[in-house]
Amino acid sequence: MQIHARYIDDFKTERKDIAPPLPGYLRLVPICFYLSVVAAILLNALFAVQWNQAKQAKEASLRQNRELQSELDGIKQQRQQLETEAKKATDLANWVEGSRPLQPLIVDIARSMGQDSSIVEMRLDRSPDNASQIQLSLRLQTVNPRQLDQTIQTITNARFRAYSPQQSMERGEVEYKATLFWQDSSRGQPEPSNVQ
Amino acid sequence: MKGADILSVLNFSAFRPEPDDPSAVWRRRFPGERTVLLSLSRSSASWRGVQRNGKLGEGDTMAGELKDILSERSFQIKELSDHGWCSVSLNTRYVISLEANLSRRPGSEEIIKTNPRSVLGARYERGKRYAVTHNPETNSSILLACDEEHIRKVETTLREPGLQIGRICCGTYILLRHALAQTNVTKSGEKPTSFFYVVCCQGSVCALVQDNDRWTELRSRTDVYEGAPGPILELLTPFKARLPQEADIVLICDNPIPQLPESLSALFDGKKVADLTQPDLFWNLLAQN
Repeated sequence: MQIHARYIDDFKTERKDIAPPLPGYLRLVPICFYLSVVAAILLNALFAVQWNQAKQAKEASLRQNRELQSELDGIKQQRQQLETEAKKATDLANWVEGSRPLQPLIVDIARSMGQDSSIVEMRLDRSPDNASQIQLSLRLQTVNPRQLDQTIQTITNARFRAYSPQQSMERGEVEYKATLFWQDSSRGQPEPSNVQ
Repeated sequence: MKGADILSVLNFSAFRPEPDDPSAVWRRRFPGERTVLLSLSRSSASWRGVQRNGKLGEGDTMAGELKDILSERSFQIKELSDHGWCSVSLNTRYVISLEANLSRRPGSEEIIKTNPRSVLGARYERGKRYAVTHNPETNSSILLACDEEHIRKVETTLREPGLQIGRICCGTYILLRHALAQTNVTKSGEKPTSFFYVVCCQGSVCALVQDNDRWTELRSRTDVYEGAPGPILELLTPFKARLPQEADIVLICDNPIPQLPESLSALFDGKKVADLTQPDLFWNLLAQN
């Protein structure tokens, strides 16, 4: 004969609403809940770290952007300076190029000087508004009374016509001022209009 | 669904039996919680705490009426448990009898708690709560009938100081069932066994004669003894003439009673006494089952 041990008989007054324990597989519900809470905490922590990293990266990018912008501004300023200098150089080149037709005139005037004569001062001005007119101002140190005539003849030979000449003599120096016009433009010689 | 229900799922308490769920064993109802075990007789009460790890804790015994004991010591008893839950063993106002031809329908040992009339038939009495143990080899059954009015009175008395009742059982019946389970281990068809069971618990005595697997006689009395084994021997003396020749004596007590095994052996002409009594056996049965 076998009599199995079993649970102890209970005689207390039973409560009507005693619920049986939930089946074991439903433990997955709170386990999943706690796992999701842990996952949420971990993900939030991860997101917070990444957010901080992104914030730092953004600040670094903005800082780099500011540095590059300031560098760009410097480069732009340098470029502007270079462009200004280039423009000056171009202007100088243009001036040199534009003054090239006057060079034979200057050479002729210089070669017209005799042995006892010298040029104290010579000035050629051309107004940008009226480029066909050249203001000539010449001061000579000479004892030869024909020196100025030779020089004027040389200017005429160089196909420039003097207009409203003024001549004066003071303490052995002859000062001559005149407005020169290009005498014959039909020959096709380049008109020195681009000289500044 | 209430917030408390959700909380019980989240703290996993919904997956454990409720503290007063009679279908669950005591240790499963209170994992990690201190409880207290009470053993009550007419003239005394014993109690023992159960620690969070399931081991037995402090305890004490006090003579007197339950109400008087509680008025003096309820604070100490309640302090042994975390939430005042207790398991009560009644050792008075019950009757253990031997019955024959009770209903053996499947689950009758459970049905008798909710619908005792269907199991007991004409033997059913109003105002009693029943438990039954069937003999698997014969048509005899051990029937325990507890007085419902006494149970309600004990419940009311214990609730007054704030104790919560998780279980009310009969200590003598528990020890008798334990002795039957420990000794009847032969398979059906093997040699039948004969025993004379003597159960002592908190002043109550129960004696059962098993002759070749048949339960032939049962005698149960409450409030028989208070310490000395004399009244127990007097109760058992009539069995001397009727005891089967080959029957060994099986003794089980809630606490060891000095000289009882020797006295029993002497009373029954030198029969071998198998003493199942162990210190704290009864408390451990209450705490583990």
